[in-house]
Amino acid sequence: MTSVSLSVGLTSSATDAEIASIASCAEQNPVHGIWTGEDIGSNKDIFLQTYSVMKHAPSKYVGIGITSPLLRNITTIARVAETLSEANPTRFRLGLGVGGLRDLERLGIAFTRPVQRLESTVDALREIWAGEVLSRNSEGIELRQYQARYRPETVIPVYLGVRGPSLLKLAGKIADGVILSGPVSYIEKAVRIVQNQRTRRTSRPPRVVAWLPTILTGRKADIKFAKTVTATVVADTPRSVLEMSDVDDDAIRVQDVARRRGYAAASSSVTDELLNHFTIAGGADHICSVFQSLGKLGVEEVVFGPPYGRRPLASIQEVAETWART
Amino acid sequence: MGKNLKFGISVNANDSLRGTVEKAKVAESSGLDYVWVSDSTVQLYAPIVAAAIASHTTRIRLGLGLMSPLLHDPQQIANSLITLCKEYGTRFDLCIGTGDRSQLFRAGLDLGNTLSLPAAIDKARTAIASEIRHAHLKTRIWLGAQGPKMLRIASNFDGILLNYSNPEMIRWAITRGKLRAGPKFTVGISAPSYVHSTMRSDIFELAKVASAIVALGTTRSVLRRMGILDEIDLLREKADRSPSLEEISSEIPSQIASDFSITKKPNDLPSYIQELSRLGVRHAVFGYPQCHSVETVKELADALARIR
Repeated sequence: MTSVSLSVGLTSSATDAEIASIASCAEQNPVHGIWTGEDIGSNKDIFLQTYSVMKHAPSKYVGIGITSPLLRNITTIARVAETLSEANPTRFRLGLGVGGLRDLERLGIAFTRPVQRLESTVDALREIWAGEVLSRNSEGIELRQYQARYRPETVIPVYLGVRGPSLLKLAGKIADGVILSGPVSYIEKAVRIVQNQRTRRTSRPPRVVAWLPTILTGRKADIKFAKTVTATVVADTPRSVLEMSDVDDDAIRVQDVARRRGYAAASSSVTDELLNHFTIAGGADHICSVFQSLGKLGVEEVVFGPPYGRRPLASIQEVAETWART
Repeated sequence: MGKNLKFGISVNANDSLRGTVEKAKVAESSGLDYVWVSDSTVQLYAPIVAAAIASHTTRIRLGLGLMSPLLHDPQQIANSLITLCKEYGTRFDLCIGTGDRSQLFRAGLDLGNTLSLPAAIDKARTAIASEIRHAHLKTRIWLGAQGPKMLRIASNFDGILLNYSNPEMIRWAITRGKLRAGPKFTVGISAPSYVHSTMRSDIFELAKVASAIVALGTTRSVLRRMGILDEIDLLREKADRSPSLEEISSEIPSQIASDFSITKKPNDLPSYIQELSRLGVRHAVFGYPQCHSVETVKELADALARIR
């Protein structure tokens, strides 16, 4: 069984005060790291937020999990990563993923061949950081005799936040880590796909991170809240992921209701089985036990992600303390 | 003499995050008014560098830019500025403009029809200003400009940072752009700089290269007016054949540094500043390589302190 680390996740929709308090709380508790995910369309700068997390949690690993290379010029992503890496050498991790298809559509960003696009992006980033002179004109990357003026002193680990089978295989082949999210039955299959690529690489296999919506619940009212969260998560889960889980029929029903009548209405269609598959809800002991069990699947790091519970800081603290005890 | 001018230094060129923060701290303690954090495709990401400086300083005003809306979506520029102001207080200004064409080209951005560039920059300003208003913040937005077409949109901004150091060229730009300095509009300059009491040839070489970058980006009509078009065309030919300007720095005429940078002894600075003041300039940003070391930052600050 793989030893599992506990991390905390937050997204760019969080306020500055929430980021500061969650990062400070993580710093004071036995957690491994903090991941910041970009909500496309939020009016915050994910990179500045990540820097803020570093300031409030200087002893923790801090990662962007994830940002999309489709939203910015590749030279910007490369130097953002270098700047954050200089701010906290050896503890920064860059997470990349295509991003939500609906969000990209809304921004008028069209793209094809996501596997080739991500592979090309990771290759180019590593060459930029190595100080190469780059000329490229393929897979959405255009560079002409480009050479960065900075040189990273440490290797910047690249994690891929991916879901479908082809992208999972790519992560297994080229990434330093992979960030998974989805039902537990999906994660089990996803880890297997990633690990099956081991033979195609000479370096260490990618570190497997599972980011799961987690809710510390105590009262009956919390279960209702948890079901609303689950309805939101299910509604945003791609069909390719549902098909790899064991609950696709129920989940598709929730997606239909969410599309027609909204998340609140869809929450009444969330069965206990769906709730347990898509979110981890319960007391701190239960949550920690589920997190530990993911180690048997090959997960090395679990992310206690939003919405945490009705009182986020108290929930993070309680789960972290329980984790340290068990 | 220099009392009606604000003085700043530009940082974030060929430096580490830690080195830049150290120099910004010295700029603050030495009495400079502004630190401008430049952003280019080959250097560290300016908004994070600005955040790091803000974390380690308390008083000095910080300028973000020049940020190019051709490289960064205007919404992203606004997001950066708003996040900075909310986290570190409202001591930030923003400067936007086209940016260095050659660097943008290498990063895959072909500027295409130059006629539409001023409109694109002005549209970005409108979008950013609207986001700032919605966030209930007051932040000055400057235009970084040089050529006659861009000068035409200057009055829509809170100020202009002219990429000139030569008083004659500054006078031409002010006249050509019909720039009216006043309480709502500030005329400033931002240029390569090497103010020194003892000349170091290695830093002078950097000043020559920085000046050549400005010269090569200068509109042909302006170069023709200055009578140096042929000289710059020759330099362009050499630059095109070479992987970098540094490699041909010995072939860059020293005159380029005189025309396109503030390369002066401290004793020559008062008359220069006086001339700027007479022209209506109220903001002067001393660019790379003045930020070469803590010592060169101090040297500038000491020279300016004597003027004030």
